[in-house]
Amino acid sequence: MTDAAGRVQELSDAGLRALESARTESDLLEVKGRYFGKKGAISEILKTVASLPVEEKKRIGAAANEARAALESAFDAKLSRIREQERVAREGKERVDVTLPGRAPAAGRRHPVSRTMGEIIATFQRLGFSVRGGPEIEKDYYNFEALNIPKDHPARDMQDTFYIDGMGGDLVLRTHTSPIQIRTMEAMRPPVRVIAPGAVYRCDSDVTHSPMFHQVEGFAVDRSATMADLKGLLTEFCRMMFGPELPLRFRPSYFPFTEPSAEVDIRCVICRGAGCRVCKTSGWLEILGCGMIDPSVFGFVGYDPETYTGFAFGMGVERIAMLRHGISDIRLLFENDLRFLSQFQP
Amino acid sequence: MKIIYSWLKEFIGTGLSAAQAQDALTMAGVEVSSCRFLGEGMEDVVVAKILAQGRHPNADKLSLCRVTDGSAEYGIVCGAKNMKPGDVVALARTGAKLPNGVEIRKAKIRGEVSEGMLCSEMELGLSEESAGILILPAETPLGKPLADAIGLSDWLLEVEITPNRGDCLSVLGVAREIAAITGEKIRLPAISLRESGPTIASLATVTVTDWGLCPRYSARAITGVKIAPSPDWMQRRLSLCGIRPINNIVDITNYLLLEVGQPMHAFDLDRLAGRSIDVRRSGVPRKFVTLDGAERDILPEMLLIWDGEGPVAVAGVMGGQNTEVLPDTGRVLFESAHFSPASIRWTSRRLGLSSESSYRFERGVNPGMTMYAADRAVSLLSRFASFETARGTIDVGGERDFSRTVGFRPARAGRIIGRDCTETECKAVFSRLDFPVEGDGPGRLSVTVPPHRFDIEREIDLVEEVARLTGYDKIPVTYPESGAPEFSPDDRFAKVLEDASEFLRGQGFTQAINFAFVSEKEWERHKALLGFDASDAIRLSNPISDDTTMMRPSLLMGMLHNVASNVRRFIEDVRLFEVGKAFGKSLADGHYEEPRLAFVLYGNRLPGDWGGGQAAVDFYDAKGVAESLHGFLGAIPVHFVPASSRPYLESGKSADILKDGQTIGWVGAVRRELVSALDIPGAVFYGEIRIGAAAAVTPPPAQYRPVPKFPPVSRDVACILPAHVPVGDVLAMVSELSPEIESASVFDIYMGEKIGEGNKSVAFRVKIQPSDRTLTDAEVHSIHTKIVKLLENRFGGKIRTS
Repeated sequence: MTDAAGRVQELSDAGLRALESARTESDLLEVKGRYFGKKGAISEILKTVASLPVEEKKRIGAAANEARAALESAFDAKLSRIREQERVAREGKERVDVTLPGRAPAAGRRHPVSRTMGEIIATFQRLGFSVRGGPEIEKDYYNFEALNIPKDHPARDMQDTFYIDGMGGDLVLRTHTSPIQIRTMEAMRPPVRVIAPGAVYRCDSDVTHSPMFHQVEGFAVDRSATMADLKGLLTEFCRMMFGPELPLRFRPSYFPFTEPSAEVDIRCVICRGAGCRVCKTSGWLEILGCGMIDPSVFGFVGYDPETYTGFAFGMGVERIAMLRHGISDIRLLFENDLRFLSQFQP
Repeated sequence: MKIIYSWLKEFIGTGLSAAQAQDALTMAGVEVSSCRFLGEGMEDVVVAKILAQGRHPNADKLSLCRVTDGSAEYGIVCGAKNMKPGDVVALARTGAKLPNGVEIRKAKIRGEVSEGMLCSEMELGLSEESAGILILPAETPLGKPLADAIGLSDWLLEVEITPNRGDCLSVLGVAREIAAITGEKIRLPAISLRESGPTIASLATVTVTDWGLCPRYSARAITGVKIAPSPDWMQRRLSLCGIRPINNIVDITNYLLLEVGQPMHAFDLDRLAGRSIDVRRSGVPRKFVTLDGAERDILPEMLLIWDGEGPVAVAGVMGGQNTEVLPDTGRVLFESAHFSPASIRWTSRRLGLSSESSYRFERGVNPGMTMYAADRAVSLLSRFASFETARGTIDVGGERDFSRTVGFRPARAGRIIGRDCTETECKAVFSRLDFPVEGDGPGRLSVTVPPHRFDIEREIDLVEEVARLTGYDKIPVTYPESGAPEFSPDDRFAKVLEDASEFLRGQGFTQAINFAFVSEKEWERHKALLGFDASDAIRLSNPISDDTTMMRPSLLMGMLHNVASNVRRFIEDVRLFEVGKAFGKSLADGHYEEPRLAFVLYGNRLPGDWGGGQAAVDFYDAKGVAESLHGFLGAIPVHFVPASSRPYLESGKSADILKDGQTIGWVGAVRRELVSALDIPGAVFYGEIRIGAAAAVTPPPAQYRPVPKFPPVSRDVACILPAHVPVGDVLAMVSELSPEIESASVFDIYMGEKIGEGNKSVAFRVKIQPSDRTLTDAEVHSIHTKIVKLLENRFGGKIRTS
């Protein structure tokens, strides 16, 4: 029965045409069912050839399988084409405007003073210092006496002090974070290596002075601390904060609680040493004060100055923040104007 | 302090230029903040003479002058009146750019050509005011640059003296410092005195009763002197250093103060009762009129100078009006004394009176210099005034040796500085300082410190001298030996603050920093709203302004003002947080200070959102921040209960935050009255957290539990509850009903007419999750029934079946 082979061929051709004209996935499935599904026309033909001789059956069976394979492959191709078209159509319809703002709150900003303070602390933590805090309402003893600043000493003029009214007298708003030196040394034996950040207060207000500002104090005491170590540590710190290329210098100075004392200047970050208003034409900017802890301070905390040596340093956070961000008026830092604060990285 | 460079060079023939001296001094610890050329702006100003003077044809107030600078003639229009033909004046030629910024150009003034300008002292930057143009001495050479002619080819150094270096508060002191740096030698001006007239003993007697406060009192007397102005050069030097010239006697004392740092006082000898001086404390409170005409309240402990009848000066601070030098004074007693720094400082502070003299005495003055200063004053005065110098001197305490010896070990210096310091090197430094040195056993030196370096008392002071005079740039760079830093709980606290601030920034909050002092007046004005009690206030004795009188009891007002000021600047949404301390009184320690974290929300829930986020923030936004913050910090669980005593929060919309039974914060809507008092147009939500409590516990490491292997089952229950039932309580109890209940949550709340007033409809979703098996329908049903029973029996709920 060559007829059957001819029918297979016809069905195959018709199926391919039907697949070709199918528009949707369901059209496609319908065509498959009609022509080459389990109950499709080609399967039906195979049923009718059951009585034919073996040779004949083989030939027709082969033709049918071949036809079905061709149809399957055409089906798959068409199916993926249709799915692709549908995907394109759906995505075209469902397109979002990716330029519209996302639905999370815009990140808030860190205060530039807090940011700078955080970086200073982190830097010294990496260098092996641990953090200690202390009270802001401080005893005269810790703020002055034990730091070798007796009453009626000219050094008290270096810091205009806020006094607390009444309350048994002798309470001040700490004028520096140095009292934490005394409190720490009273509480522990060497070696100590501490960084002490916090708010401090001085009776002074203008473009570069705020009655409240922030300091970071650091100090270390052990059997072998030297000025050379202090110089190494602060050189490293300045490199981390201001970049490795910026020159710095150590200049003799005076603090009642250190001796010898030094001021650390960095090359002016504004004019790079050419001389400008910010550095008062000197080409240098004072960035921190430091020195070897005075033996009389050790006397107040019961450390033997023949056994131990130590160094201390302190810096104003606002000043460093202002230099880094080009802020010329310190008062801007305490107005909390969002138009100002939002200028800084989160 | 100002130092005139030419004056300095009279004491040390240094090879350093002014600019080099500036650098060298700065790097040795005597900071020179500026070095200004005095002749700046006088480059085209020369000495000229007025040849003729006529009236300006078109202006009554102007005159026409013909002047010559010796080589050319100029026509000048001038507005001043104080000159006449033959006067020698300062001519600014065309092209000059004067110190006051004026540029001189050839110009026609009212039709007459002017080829320059005749200058006043003010225009030359020599004084603050001037009546007319500068008239120079007739012998001044014509054509000479003005700066040279009046000694202004010179530099003015501004020196910042630290409190320990009172010895540098003079020309001589700074010269000594240069000597110590360069090794050059100091030369003191020679004294040339011709004593005549009576002996000083016949003119005056001096007793020092309180010698502890006045270790030395030197004096010289002169007679027959005529009070007159000092010479120009001296007046100019005083003016440049900020001291107003008065007359030859007063000026010479001020000149010596600037030159050798010795404060001196001149008494009119004829007005000293009994012509006797005593130095002793006041003993009783009294009134005393000082030179400046002010009546001072003298305390018993204050040191005074007395004559035979009463006080004539506040020792070391200021003289009295009763014995000051007057135009008719003829006999003068020069006091050149030394007073104890602490006493002078105490007196100066209590009187609120600081003078050039007290400033120096309280920082220390060289007690070895008193007699030299008195001699030098009389010697210098004799160069321009005629008088007779009384024979002999008064010098109480003059026999004392004010130098001291200090032990020094070079090895100790090495240990402090961090490099080897040899004995030779140290000795070289001491030699430059003019400190004699002797050996004192192996490795020890005995250093004699002369009286002018009263700041050096201990070995460490000498170590500093070695360090700074060999140069800090010679100190090597080494690193501290590492060792384990000790554990500090404050490290953790710092980390908690960092974390909290990071979390809040992620939630859109920007960090604020407010002053810790606030206006008590404002807190008092709103005391009912703020729950403020004035007896809890911690006040400053010396606030810097009315707005900063009291330490803040809470961070609230600062943050509210921040909202108000941002709103005034047209910012619609404000989210701020602040970390800082709150202060108050406490029974135990008198006062406390406590770290707080405060945050404030104002405006829209999702600022800048374009679909759905424009709803105004409400209580749950604020609560959500507090809740997630604690979660983020691991400070959980926390509970929210209606706030009991926060008058500044709306009572219906505020909660206290509890952790382990302690109130660790509060959150809610700020009272409407307070918000409108600050002109904030909408609702403000505020939270304040005692952040120390969150940092206090380190949460233990979380312990692993097996992840469920079986599917969970969800059951929804809708229930009408009386409106007052706290849903949080319901959720808590439902969660506890059965170990299989993993969580209970709310997914809808409805209030309205449909369910009747006083009710709310709450839809709960309960997640049931057994750990070891799949639940049977019967088991799920039984749990569901328990939930329904609880809602009905415990909370008076009615289950909705729809």
